[in-house]
Amino acid sequence: MLSKAAIKELNEIRQKYPDASAALLPALYIAQREFGYLGADAYEAVSDALGVPRAIARGVGTFYAMYKHKPMGRHIVQLCTNVSCMILGAEKLSDFLKNKYGLETGGTTPDKRFSLVIMECIGACGTAPAMLVDDDFYENLTEKYIEEILEKYK
Amino acid sequence: MITVTIDGKEIKLEKPVTVLEAARSAGIKIPTLCWHEQLERYGGCRLCLVEIEKMPRLQTACTFMVADGMVVRTETEQTANVRRGILEFLLINHPLDCPVCDKAGECELQNLVGKYGPAKGRYKEKKRKVPESLEDPIIVRNMERCIMCTRCVRMCEGVQGASAIDVISRGGHSHIEPFSGGKYDCEYCGNCISVCPVGAIMSRLHRHSFRPWQMENEIETICPYCGVGCTLIVQVRDDVIKRVVPRIGSVVNNGLLCTRGRFGYEFVGSKERLTTPLVRIAPKTQSGVGSQESTLSQPPFDKGGSQGGVISELFREATWEEAISLVAKKLSEIKEEYGNPAIAGIASPRCTNEDNYIFQKFMRVALGTNNIDSTARTGFAGAQSFIENIFGQGATANIISGLSNSDLVFVIGGDPTTVNPILGLQIRACSRNGGNILTIGNFKGLEYFSPQKLVPVLYTEDILLEGIVTVLKNKKRLSDANSKLEAKIKDISTSIEDVKNICKIEEKDFNEFLNILSESTNPSIVIGKETAQSNGASYKLLLLSAINYLINGRLYLLSDRANEQGLLDMGCAPDILPGYRPVSYVESKRRYESIWESELPGKTGLTIFEMVNAAKNGSLKAMYVMGENPVYNLPDSKTVEAALRNIEFLVVQDIFLTETGKLADVVLPALSWAEKDGTFTNMERRIQRLRKAVNGNGMEDWRIISEIARNMGKKFDYSNAEDIFNEICKASPLHKDLTYEDIEKGGGIYPYKGEPLRDGMEEIQVHNAERLSVNGKLYLRIERPLFHSGTLSRRAPALVKIYPEAVVRISPDTAKALSFKEGEVVRVSTKIGSIELPVVIDKALDNFSVMLTNNFEGKSAYRLMGYDIEPVTRASVLDGNTVAIEKAGL
Amino acid sequence: MEKVLLKNIENPNSADINEYKKIGGYRSLLKAFDYKPLDITDIVKKAGLRGRGGAGFPVAMKWSFAYADTKFPKYLLCNADEGEPGTFKDRPILEKNPHLLIEGMVIAGYAIGAQYGYIYLRGEYPGAYHILNKAIAQAYENNFLGDDILGKGIKFHLAVHRGAGAYICGEETALIESLEGDKGQPRMRPPFPVNVGVFAKPTVINNVETLSNIPLIIEIGDEEYSKIGSSDCPGPKLYCVSGHVEKPGVYELPMGTILRDIIYKHCGGIKAGKNLKAVLPGGITTPVLPADKIDCPMDFVSMPKHGSMLGSGAVIVMDETVCLVKVCHRALKFLEHESCGKCTPCREGTGWLRSILERIENGEGVEGDIELLLSVSGNMLGKTFCPLGDGAASVVQNFIKHFRNEFEEHIKDGKCKFKSLRV
Ligand SMILES: Cc1cc2nc3c(=O)[nH]c(=O)nc-3n(C[C@H](O)[C@H](O)[C@H](O)COP(=O)(O)O)c2cc1C
Ligand code: SF4
Ligand code: FES
Repeated sequence: MLSKAAIKELNEIRQKYPDASAALLPALYIAQREFGYLGADAYEAVSDALGVPRAIARGVGTFYAMYKHKPMGRHIVQLCTNVSCMILGAEKLSDFLKNKYGLETGGTTPDKRFSLVIMECIGACGTAPAMLVDDDFYENLTEKYIEEILEKYK
Repeated sequence: MITVTIDGKEIKLEKPVTVLEAARSAGIKIPTLCWHEQLERYGGCRLCLVEIEKMPRLQTACTFMVADGMVVRTETEQTANVRRGILEFLLINHPLDCPVCDKAGECELQNLVGKYGPAKGRYKEKKRKVPESLEDPIIVRNMERCIMCTRCVRMCEGVQGASAIDVISRGGHSHIEPFSGGKYDCEYCGNCISVCPVGAIMSRLHRHSFRPWQMENEIETICPYCGVGCTLIVQVRDDVIKRVVPRIGSVVNNGLLCTRGRFGYEFVGSKERLTTPLVRIAPKTQSGVGSQESTLSQPPFDKGGSQGGVISELFREATWEEAISLVAKKLSEIKEEYGNPAIAGIASPRCTNEDNYIFQKFMRVALGTNNIDSTARTGFAGAQSFIENIFGQGATANIISGLSNSDLVFVIGGDPTTVNPILGLQIRACSRNGGNILTIGNFKGLEYFSPQKLVPVLYTEDILLEGIVTVLKNKKRLSDANSKLEAKIKDISTSIEDVKNICKIEEKDFNEFLNILSESTNPSIVIGKETAQSNGASYKLLLLSAINYLINGRLYLLSDRANEQGLLDMGCAPDILPGYRPVSYVESKRRYESIWESELPGKTGLTIFEMVNAAKNGSLKAMYVMGENPVYNLPDSKTVEAALRNIEFLVVQDIFLTETGKLADVVLPALSWAEKDGTFTNMERRIQRLRKAVNGNGMEDWRIISEIARNMGKKFDYSNAEDIFNEICKASPLHKDLTYEDIEKGGGIYPYKGEPLRDGMEEIQVHNAERLSVNGKLYLRIERPLFHSGTLSRRAPALVKIYPEAVVRISPDTAKALSFKEGEVVRVSTKIGSIELPVVIDKALDNFSVMLTNNFEGKSAYRLMGYDIEPVTRASVLDGNTVAIEKAGL
Repeated sequence: MEKVLLKNIENPNSADINEYKKIGGYRSLLKAFDYKPLDITDIVKKAGLRGRGGAGFPVAMKWSFAYADTKFPKYLLCNADEGEPGTFKDRPILEKNPHLLIEGMVIAGYAIGAQYGYIYLRGEYPGAYHILNKAIAQAYENNFLGDDILGKGIKFHLAVHRGAGAYICGEETALIESLEGDKGQPRMRPPFPVNVGVFAKPTVINNVETLSNIPLIIEIGDEEYSKIGSSDCPGPKLYCVSGHVEKPGVYELPMGTILRDIIYKHCGGIKAGKNLKAVLPGGITTPVLPADKIDCPMDFVSMPKHGSMLGSGAVIVMDETVCLVKVCHRALKFLEHESCGKCTPCREGTGWLRSILERIENGEGVEGDIELLLSVSGNMLGKTFCPLGDGAASVVQNFIKHFRNEFEEHIKDGKCKFKSLRV
């Protein structure tokens, strides 16, 4: 079940579209926020709220890379490794995350503080290598800088 | 006119079609995989790429539209190379397990590789490995073999409308899954299986049991389950039904099936089938005395044989000669001793027209009684005659596919997608085509088809319908075309206040509903059994007739048995003769007397409920039950059981030893639907041919009865079903001059060559029932699930696997109020009994209703439901059964 | 050249409507309403504006098709999916100059008769999502959006729709599917979006940068506008340069600026004095250019003549330390990940190509692999449903075309000699 606030938010978003089903992507974002990730409960809640069959909701949800299908850490480190970042050393940074924080691609630290998601391009190529932690951009990354950044996220 | 040249052939076309369709029309076959004629265009597999002059790129024939002057080449060196390349892509991750794959032999991929040559083994990487999913009891999914044509998904979403499976993930990780990822939660239509071109989605019913080329016989026949009458192709090997599939192009179901039709065939080969006549040895005791009651709820047979256990205590085996002469003798004696009215017969909506015709002829000619009725009396019969009395015979004989072309479908009294699933699909198609779906009540199967719903408080539907008529009659002008009905309409009136206050309908919703309803130009009204079985049914049917008249619509009456219509048309009712001719019409009676060369009883007979009463009070001495299980299929079944025990001589003719059969003095084994020829008449009044597919032990129902009649000295000489049909068409004015040949050519569709009954209609009578007030109580109502249909489906293992046990459904609020959890076992009690069942919490249910099906032995709704008789339709009224539920064991 | 698209972005409050108005914002909107809708399309046509999303399709043509369709309502979609790796040109507009885009959209909506607009924003720009929503709210408050804009009886509503991580949603028909709440899988054409687009209604889809050019065209007129940049491809262009240059970033320059100048004049040349090896001039799916082939004017018309494409104007510069087999492999890994899975050659082919490249890069390549790469990509090229699959095939073919020796060396040596050079 979605919270009352979430249902209200969804109803407002719903008004932006001529069809309820068009609100599916935003609804999945809301459900992901509410449930932490998109599991059966989350899909059922969205399906009930929008009248979209739940198998379809899940089909759509699993198509997009930014929806999560398992529990994640409190903060999601989203490191870009596409060409511009790669040629400026992104792979070394991913090794660093692994060695220093035990963060494997797609994995979560045992204390549930961080999860690591390897991103395709995040549009920060001019300041590569770059990453997003939750909704915040961090650019011109170095190992030291990453250490500083992650300190901010508890 | 468009002219295109494909492979040098000039093709003229009336309207633009795809290159593929144009080619096919000229007999040119372009290879395809993702394309399927029942599905929307897709263009994903890329196998059908063809060369088109003046186009820089190859184009997919399945999506590209022809234009005048277009020149297309479908088989060139380039296209062959491209196809080889595409096939190589499809094969790199496809296991080469054809030797163990059930699809081999009818696999489209295998066939194409055969045509274009195998790939050269250039793929050195590891193939994708996905274990076969056997989590579902019916459908096996093998995603290694999947080629992502998405035909199953497009079928499930775009045609079936179940949207139960979808592509999960994307790109090379794509795979097809039901919501749970393992077991399906779907309508189990199996139409995904039909369209899968490879062995990725298959039925488990015949897994590893044959190869397509080993099929010995394919018989086209009609489904035994509901009144839609779908065409089935029954595939047979070693005299066993291996598989049932639909046929694209068949008239009613055009390549589609529902779960019952596709997976419900296994009862034919059931070990529980009766094989020899049985004669009673155990004395009959009244229910509740001794151990008799418990025998009924025990499984009918011990495992491993039909004659063991409880059965051998009740019966001994007999030869056909003995059984037939015994029945003939006893019936003659009873007729002699007590007179004709002491004998009654129950006909069967599962038997053919031929069986039912012979049955009523036997009752009338050999036993001299009009005491003939059937379970059609529980709803369909009365509702239909009520409607036909207003609009004339054939008023409900409307083409099912016409629903999809309607601009509006108005649904009341039952979920069409579960009662008559293939008809339900036409309603879904209507919605997809932009039509409006209006429902009175909540129907789960239409949930995703944007229904405009009005959900009145339980038992206040009549006020809502009055409200609708009141508004409509002010919006529409009465034309005086049907003065009888108009006179009634003039008296109908209610206020919006009543609709608001009593039905608890919002005025805004009501107005919106009525705007849509009144603006429709091509509407249909679908009426389910709940309306026909409700308190005040005749008045509701009048209101619905009024609505239909005012919006100029078509009426459909849902029918949950395969030959309910046919049985009535054959005269298996106490008041009608074949052709739906009233017994009370002197001309009809005379006509049949001369054709049957026998005097006929002139008095209207007993309805099925009156028979039960007569049995109870001892005035009914003998009863002949053909292919019906009244102890199970009539409400208040315990009373029915007691009544039948009271009958001196009970003959039950069936394919299983049913609850009713166990009370019989003589049990006669009949042939099942798959073992005989004949005809069914569906709810459109379309007569269709049943054809024998396998052999069975026993005789056709008509043959058994004819034998008995002959034994009684009557002339019942028929050598096959066709003989009987020819007599029907000689006798019945409705069926005049029809032949099997006509039917096979498509001439079985109403109106036939004969004459419908138009004259001699009676006054419209309605019964204004007193309204039941719901005030906070819970009421027991019948659930009509998609997966079951009484005695047959209980013996179809696949259907039992899908819906294995009786449950009681309650609304989430009710569950909360009573603090019941899903799955918890509770005791459900009414005035007449109680049973313990697990709870299912159902969001679609209102807070007054408790739902239970009538499909599980010992746990059937009818054991708990009392009934009244609606005075006009003479149907059973199931409303008003209050129910209490409490935790079991308290 | 004076900055237009990126005007004022140094102002920390540039996204605020008042700051935008201060520098003349929304004046073009007022001016536009004095024209008839068709006149605006005509001005845009004479201005010669081509779409900046990658294909360079003439904007006015699309608009006039949609205008001519008789179905209503019509929709204007802004493609802010910016998914092509290496591309970050739309982001500064979205984050720092959102009102320029909104103004452009209202004018474009007026020109095509659309009353509803959506900005399809990639999910990876969470910041821009909030900024745009705020900007839209301000625009509503200021009556630049709504049922009766500026009391002129013109209606235009705008909302942001957030994508969720799928490159293919940048393709117009996939974008439409995604906006409707479906998987972002391309639709077949015809029918074209201008006739049957989102919600089955006539729909125009334009890139952020494209729409952001509209206020300028209205302000200075087609004649002045067409003086900027190449003659057959006029206007300002945002080039986004990344990789091994001294000063990477987004540069607003006249269309047709020479690639070499972009790298050496504007971006300060190759980083740390290294040598240039190769350039991906318009994002990773545009054909790679070796160091000696960069004297080409960066516009839609000239680039194909020089063996590549302008694409999104995302210039990725690679110096001599870069292993091109690895870059090629990374590009295919991306495209495999982003293949929507609808059509066979792309779904199966991208993965196959990627795995062959992976073997070669890891020193496990065998003789014949290059031919195999060419053959497999050949089996894809021209046979896929949408350009993504074609792009994947062409990436492989172009890397091999210009740098075959590097592939051969990998196979011959059984290792990648650049590994040690990697940063
Ligand atoms: C695979 C693929 C991805 C694309 N991604 C984008 C994108 O991220 N942003 C964009 O503006 N156009 C993208 N396009 C181009 C659009 O399909 C379309 O041409 C563009 O939005 C039209 O706008 P314009 O005419 O203003 O350029 C992409 C095309 C393809 C085939
Ligand atoms: S080329 Fe085919 S699989 Fe690839 S993205 Fe386009 S449609 Fe999808
Ligand atoms: S049959 Fe045409 S693309 Fe599949």
